[in-house]
Amino acid sequence: MSASRRLLSRRALLRGAGGVALGLPFLDAMSRSASATTFPKRFIVFFTGLGTVKDAWVPQGTELDFTLSEVLAPLAPFKEKLLVLEGIDMESAYHGPGDPHQQGIGHALTGTELQEGDLFPYACNPNAKVGWGGGISVDQFLASHLGASTKLGSLELGIQVQNANVSSRISYLGPGQPVPPEDDPRNTWNRLFSEIASDPDSAARRRAHRRRVLDQVMGDYHNLQGKLGAGDREKLEHHLEAVSEIERRLDAPGTIGGSCAIPTLGDPPEPFVNDNYPELGRLQIDQLVMALACDLTRVASLQWASTQAGKVFTWLGQNETHHQLSHSSPTDETRRQQIVDIGRWHAEQLAYLLDKLAAVPEGTGTLLDSTLILWCTDIAVGQTHARRDMPYVLAGGAGGALEMGRYLRYQGNSHNDLLVALCNAMDVDVTTFGNPAYCTGKLPGLGV
Amino acid sequence: MEGSQRRAQDRGGRRFPATAFAALLVAGVCGGACEDAPAPVDSACGALSPGGAPIRRMTRFEYNNTVRDLLGDDTQPARAFVPEEEVLGYNNQAAALGVTQSLAEQYMKAAERLAEQAVVDLDTLMPGCDAEGEDALSCVDGFVRGFGRRAFRRPLDAGEVARFTELFGWGREAYDAPTGIALVIQGMLQSPHFLYRVELGMPDPVEKDVVQLSHYEIASRLSYLLWSSMPDEALFDAAEAGQLGTPGEIRAMAERMLEDPRARPAVLEFHRQWLELKHVDLMTKDPGTYPAYEEGLRPLWLAETEAFVEHVVFDDPAGDLTTLLTAPYSFLNEDLAAFYGVPGPEGEAFTRVDLDPAQRAGVLTHASVLATQAKPNQSSPIHRGKFVRERLLCDLVPPPPANLPIVVPEVQPGVSTRERFAQHRESLTCAGCHELMDPIGYTFEHYDGIGQWRDMDQGQPVDATGEVKRTHANGSFDGAIELAHHLAENEQVRQCVVSQWFRYGYGRAEKEEDHCSMVSLQQAFAESGYNIKALLVELTQTDAFRYRRQGGTP
Repeated sequence: MSASRRLLSRRALLRGAGGVALGLPFLDAMSRSASATTFPKRFIVFFTGLGTVKDAWVPQGTELDFTLSEVLAPLAPFKEKLLVLEGIDMESAYHGPGDPHQQGIGHALTGTELQEGDLFPYACNPNAKVGWGGGISVDQFLASHLGASTKLGSLELGIQVQNANVSSRISYLGPGQPVPPEDDPRNTWNRLFSEIASDPDSAARRRAHRRRVLDQVMGDYHNLQGKLGAGDREKLEHHLEAVSEIERRLDAPGTIGGSCAIPTLGDPPEPFVNDNYPELGRLQIDQLVMALACDLTRVASLQWASTQAGKVFTWLGQNETHHQLSHSSPTDETRRQQIVDIGRWHAEQLAYLLDKLAAVPEGTGTLLDSTLILWCTDIAVGQTHARRDMPYVLAGGAGGALEMGRYLRYQGNSHNDLLVALCNAMDVDVTTFGNPAYCTGKLPGLGV
Repeated sequence: MEGSQRRAQDRGGRRFPATAFAALLVAGVCGGACEDAPAPVDSACGALSPGGAPIRRMTRFEYNNTVRDLLGDDTQPARAFVPEEEVLGYNNQAAALGVTQSLAEQYMKAAERLAEQAVVDLDTLMPGCDAEGEDALSCVDGFVRGFGRRAFRRPLDAGEVARFTELFGWGREAYDAPTGIALVIQGMLQSPHFLYRVELGMPDPVEKDVVQLSHYEIASRLSYLLWSSMPDEALFDAAEAGQLGTPGEIRAMAERMLEDPRARPAVLEFHRQWLELKHVDLMTKDPGTYPAYEEGLRPLWLAETEAFVEHVVFDDPAGDLTTLLTAPYSFLNEDLAAFYGVPGPEGEAFTRVDLDPAQRAGVLTHASVLATQAKPNQSSPIHRGKFVRERLLCDLVPPPPANLPIVVPEVQPGVSTRERFAQHRESLTCAGCHELMDPIGYTFEHYDGIGQWRDMDQGQPVDATGEVKRTHANGSFDGAIELAHHLAENEQVRQCVVSQWFRYGYGRAEKEEDHCSMVSLQQAFAESGYNIKALLVELTQTDAFRYRRQGGTP
């Protein structure tokens, strides 16, 4: 996608986004080249499934003097903005219901047990079933703190996630409330940008209409609530919350101008065709970066496929699914290399994201400086489904909250502690995250 | 006459011994423990007993059909909506369908666009009404009532009429009359009464939490079960006249509805999900392994299965499960016949083609099923066995146990698929589960990873012997044809098909309380000679259909 800018007059740019954009500190800061600290912090989850090959992933060297190995090599240009974390366990993911894939993905951002339930089968036991994730995920938690004033609290994007079950969801609004990602770049564009450049009069009119209609709709939900049983009431309550969120954000500005420009999408490829995966990924990343640059949201996730989807990395010369490869014997050199190739390819995509973020100037720095990216996965090693010694990478500047450019070796610290540290880095003051039983507090050693 | 008195009377005509079916009912969930004696089941089916039913939200398929019937809009606006979460292999399971902000935005924008379209021609929408005129409010009141009844699928109450009329007034005051009408439509299309099937039932509960559904609610249950859309005028009229109360009334209506063209796509949608055909669009095939494969085959494979299923269910005189699973014919066009290597019609249209009964039998031997239950570069006895076990025998095969290092047998020149998978039997850890799947899958070894017939695999003659174990459908078979004929006449398969329709048709898993509903369905299906349309009618006759226990415990 070429992020070519539409030709809009400055007046239209400033008013078009909602008529109230002028005078925003954020926008003012843009035009006055303020220091990076003026800018809001952003958080991105970059999720890939099925772990990695440890010895091809782990850096060589010491904390400050290290070399990136084969898988992470594409991130070398950003080495000073990386924290490579070894030895962190997803301890919680060994507890509660669910099979390893379900636990791995469902605990990755929640740090708590999946729900008991009768929705999904697991393990070699037909009587055992599992529900959804059992708690709020860190992205949604951060969105509730950082995303109150933006058009979207958070943005969930997928690349051929396709499956729609507990093994395919990373993001949760709360227990049992999965947030499915959007797989189709066209829908992403429509959601983010289709209305941003309307002329001020029709935008004002649309807002007024929406406010009145949503008010009516919320009335319907309220009136109905009292007549329903507990389960149905809870379901409609969540729906009502979603409608209220829209209503509350009707006046959220979004900013056109500065580095924000409506991207053109061209003719995006079919979202379900296997070989379109790379192109779909680029389109989603381009739009994600622009959503941040336009301050439409400050929290986002990018989920690459779902763990048991039949993804075949044909463009790397492969003809077996990633899932199948991940189960091959560690002594099978050919397939081991193919898994390494997949990891390296995903690292290239992360490098592309970092590159795009670094290309957006903000004050004296870039959008990358104020962004924290978490690259995580569901299991450490496909063959054993281990959820210990997980391969984590943090990237970006995190607004100066973390001391980047290091390779850190931990000794089985829990990933809940990492989630706490991420919240703290985003200036959200918590001392525990997920199930406290697996949390000892903020992961030490990351901060400045 | 509403409520319990009528219920007693209705049920008098259909009493049946439940024990014969009860024993087999448990078969569908026996997993690895089928040798155990079935649990004793209460055979008395006199007491009313619907299982808990959570409130149902429209699927994308239902939304598209509904706005087509409500507003004449055939643009399928829900295609771009957030896909439904899937449970039990279906995307319409009430327990799994939530709403996020993203979906609520999509509902809002779709409602705005639909409303904008609808008010382009106000004369058609509200004939004889001058919405800008002095007396507009009375005819707008008529529009709110009329359109509201169709959108909410029941008459609006006075409070609702007043609220929506006020909404119109606001829009007209602030802008103009068409805006006022558009806002009314927008509001209705985002209301829970449109997006959900709100079922409050008759005023007097027949027991705690259990209500008989109102006639309007039955109209919607019928229309969404049989058409995946809103009721038509005949249904609304019957509801208004109070003629959807007795099983007889409902049966007559269901039979009429199955003759309507709207029933066909609705029934096909079930089969697409039951047979896991969405993977036709998602799977990948390795062109190196399969030179005969090309992307253009996917829609043809789907079209074949759809044409075949539609014919069997609606046009074949037997219209039964046996035909679905064993018919020695299919529906092909020129390209697809060439793909199968059989003589066929010319051109793009699909017509009935007789096939070699030694090579093809019903849907299980369609390329759509065989190719999706396979890997990019090989067949897959595991997937095919699992598919038969889960979708036809209703026996859930769970994923491998935690922390088990799994080695998937990879393609090796000169080694047949069957030989490669033999290690599943040798490994004690794997054997327990894989003996449930692989031996069933072996019977499909005459079909390669794209569903083409083969006599040789890696230079060796195909051995397609296999067996079904630890079910109520046990047996040994040489090839999928034998297997298909066996399954088609098997009681566990027949009951499984009933269970699958129950889950899809009612949008939920069967519960203990549904036992008697299941028994009556099994019995009626048997009495009809396992006719699919008869089963659909029967789905409208159960306690689970006519009554509701408030469900969805949080």
